[in-house]
Order: sequence, then C-alpha cells, then structure tokens
Amino acid sequence: MSDFSVPGGQPAACPFHAAGANHEPFRHEGMYEFFASVRDDVPVFYSPQIGYWVVTRREDVLATLRDHESFSAEIATQPITPWPQKVLDYLKERNFTNEAVQVACDPPRHTRIRMIASRFLNVRRFSFYEDALRKLVRVYIDRITGLDEVDLVDAIFYEFPAQVVFLLLGETDFDPRKIKKWGDLRLNMVWGKPSESELELAVHDLADFWDYACELVEARKVAPGDDYPSFLLARRDGDDAVLTENEIKSLVFGLLIAGHETTTNAAGNLFLELMKRPEEWAKIVRRPELVANAVEEGLRYASSVVAWRRTAKVDVTIAGQDIPKGDRILVALASANHDGACFDDPETFDVERRNPREHLAFGSGIHTCLGAPLARLELKVLLEELSARFPDMALMPGQEIDWTKTISFRGPSQLRVRLRG
Amino acid sequence: MTTLHFVLPDGSSRDVPATPGHSLMETAISNGVPGIVAECAGSLACATCHVFVDEAIASRLGGPEGAEDEMLDFAAVERRPLSRLGCQVKIEDWMDGATITVPETQV
Repeated sequence: MSDFSVPGGQPAACPFHAAGANHEPFRHEGMYEFFASVRDDVPVFYSPQIGYWVVTRREDVLATLRDHESFSAEIATQPITPWPQKVLDYLKERNFTNEAVQVACDPPRHTRIRMIASRFLNVRRFSFYEDALRKLVRVYIDRITGLDEVDLVDAIFYEFPAQVVFLLLGETDFDPRKIKKWGDLRLNMVWGKPSESELELAVHDLADFWDYACELVEARKVAPGDDYPSFLLARRDGDDAVLTENEIKSLVFGLLIAGHETTTNAAGNLFLELMKRPEEWAKIVRRPELVANAVEEGLRYASSVVAWRRTAKVDVTIAGQDIPKGDRILVALASANHDGACFDDPETFDVERRNPREHLAFGSGIHTCLGAPLARLELKVLLEELSARFPDMALMPGQEIDWTKTISFRGPSQLRVRLRG
Repeated sequence: MTTLHFVLPDGSSRDVPATPGHSLMETAISNGVPGIVAECAGSLACATCHVFVDEAIASRLGGPEGAEDEMLDFAAVERRPLSRLGCQVKIEDWMDGATITVPETQV
C-alpha cells in the first residue's frame, strides 16, 4: 500500500501536500493535534500512505455521510490492508460466507435490511434492557469494591458491552473474553496493518467466529427465544425476498462486533477524559443530572470511531477539491467533532457544553448507527453507577496510555484508577 | 409568511417562521427548537424527530404510511394518533398557525 502518487501535482510546500505527508492514519498519539493544525487551511487532502482523500471539516463530513447517492458505503468494512490470496482461499474453504448487510451496503439492499433490523435494534426496545444493564454493571462493580486500584478497562469496560450483546442474542453461557478476542482480531484484520503471517494466523479464528454466529442462528431455528436472531428468523418466515438465512447470519456476525468493540472504547475514552479532569468528575458526582450531557461530550471529544470510509460513485467536489469517480474517501469524524465552526472552544472537554450532541461519532444519514441508543444507555448506566459508588475515583499518575492501532477505532487499552482517591 | 407554533415539553411555546417545501424537522432544527434531534438528518432511519401534529394537519394529510409508520412504532415516546416524523411532513402555505407538539424525549 505504498505506491500511491499524489494527484494534482501540488508543490511540496503547500499545506495540502504537507497535510498528506504528515498524516499518520494508524497512529493515535497526536491525532487531534494533527487535525487541529490542518483543519483551518486544508478541508480535504490526499493521504498517500493509504490512498484516500481525507475530509477534515464537520460540514463536509456531514454532507458526505448524508449523500448516499454520490458516495457508496461498500468499502466501509473492506480490509484497508488487502488480504493475500492464501487467506481468501482459506476462508472459502471454511465456508465463510459473511456478506455486507448493513454498514457496508447501499440502497436498495440497505433499506430493505435496515427496516427489518431496526424493528429490533431501536431506542424503544433498548430501553427495556436498562434494568438488566444496571444489574450487570453492579455485578462488575461489586467485584472491584474493596480494591484500592483497578484497571477499569480490564475490570469492566472490556466485558460489559459484550455481555449486553449476549442479552440481545439470548446467549447465556458463553465466555465474553472469547467474543472480545474475536472482535479485536477482526478489527485488526480489517482496519489495522497486520502482517501477512499475522493474517494467516488470525484467519482461523475469524472462520471460527463465523461458525459461532452460524451455529447460534441454527440453534434459534430449532428453539426460538425472545432475542435478535429469533426475531430476524420470524420476520423472514422462510422468505428469501425478505431476508435470507445467510443475511441473518451476517447480521448476527455484525452485531457480535459492532455491538461491543466501539462501546468498550467509548467507555474507556469517556472515563479517561473525566479522570484527567477531577473538576469535571466532581461535577458529575455532585450533579448526576449532567450524566447524559457528559456522555455526549465524551463521544464528541474522544470518539471511539475516528474515521470512516466511502467511495465516490460519481465525480464529486468536496470543499472545492474535485474527486473523480471511484476514488476513496476517509471522513475524519475525530476532526469533525473538534471543528470550531460548530463547537465553541473545541479542544476543551466540558461536561456542561451546550451542544455536544452535534458530534458525528455515530455517523449521520441512512447509515446512522443503529446501536447508538444502546451505546448511550450503556455509557449512561456506567457513569451513573461508577460515580455513585466511587465518588473519589482518581487517575493513577504516571501511566502511559496505549491505544488500539487501527485506522478507525480508538480507545485506551487500559485505564488504571484509584477507587478511593 | 407561514408561522408554526411549537409547544415544548415544559409547556412553553415558540412561534417560528417556516418555508413551504421544507420539512417540519428542518424548520425546527434551523430555528433551534429544542427536543427535535433528527439524528439521521431525514433519512427515515432513526425516529428522533417525532412530533404530534394538530388535527387540521392530520385530517388534511392523512396519517403516516410505509416506513414512517413502521418507524413511529419505536419512537422513544409512545406514538399517538397525531404522531408523525417531522422529516416526512412538508410545510405548505395552509399550515400557517398550526400547532406542533414536541414529545418529552426523542432518545
């Protein structure tokens, strides 16, 4: 992926060229500083390392996400580092028939499937899970009560969202760590920079992960329950025109990733920012009514999805830059969420901010995250419960934050705190 | 000019200018009417621009159909007979003075 020439022939000194040369798409340290330094002058630049046009301003990111006529989403889950033939052959051999059903497909297919999935994945239905979620969080909290220090990611944030996914799937007896491992692996395979040997190893687990999703659906065919796969099967009612069985398996496989990875990261990001600012944490402790706004500010300030992909279906112009049909585009959600044109004092984390909800952490347009209300609910419950139980919680000093290493997803891999201040 | 009368969950109300051809949702957003979230920006994908229209609008336009009707089933506040998604109602001249009620919550 190193042989992309810079189109347009800009002189080396121009800000466009400098932005492209300095863009390090897999590096999370300094990402926000980089975008802050280019956003004013460079609304769009070409990133030669990956071969994508990068869109930096909220207005243009929003317009791109909302224009599904001009931009295709099909690239959204394709490996950013292409998989070698050997890996593809192996997947074929293992009957890995996962297909694009949601985030990476365009209308009319997308419309058909979304209308069905959203009848289960919606704010109304999610709200029925609130008590169960709170109970789950309390179990995790009870486990750490009495300890002096804890890594919040390892102790709670890593597993909790996976347990919530199991609630939706009606699974009661499965190791959340195994799902997390599979998820991490798939994220690295698609959005990371794995070596060929890493890919060859990982692909076995990927196929196992797919088999698990398939077995789960097969089991619900025999014994349906009050869960997502059973719901999809009932809607299908044997009619391929509504939904095929393979589409259902792909939807379940999709939920097994999308349903927890980003929420784990979002929780880590939110609590990291709060812990870094004891005065903001104290506000939450004193005024729990700020929780919902704080959750939005966490999503804005440190989104767990920092960039998303599209392909131009026709010749387009973004912020004056002509982009030919077929070219690939990376919308920098992280940059959009720090755009001063929308957010006053954008580099300040402020739980009382007037309009944090205008962030694009969940995208916009027809692909707006279906799980957004669930993620919000999980983050709200986590923040309410943890701030009530550990009001004096404080960041362990001197820890270096290690980030996930993918182009799209960002979250701390650990977050060590003192529970009693 | 067409003016719409929005009634907010706290009981207060707000008159805003509306342009025929725009949607109720766009009118609310561009005038800063609180309580209309419109997460998906009118793509019929989120049900966060739920409103209650008045009897006059309901009887003249008829009820929601198709995807809008389905989406309303899972709005955050339970649907009522006058429920619509704001993104699907286009402003027309005769709506001048209509009352649009914003539900308690969208999320």
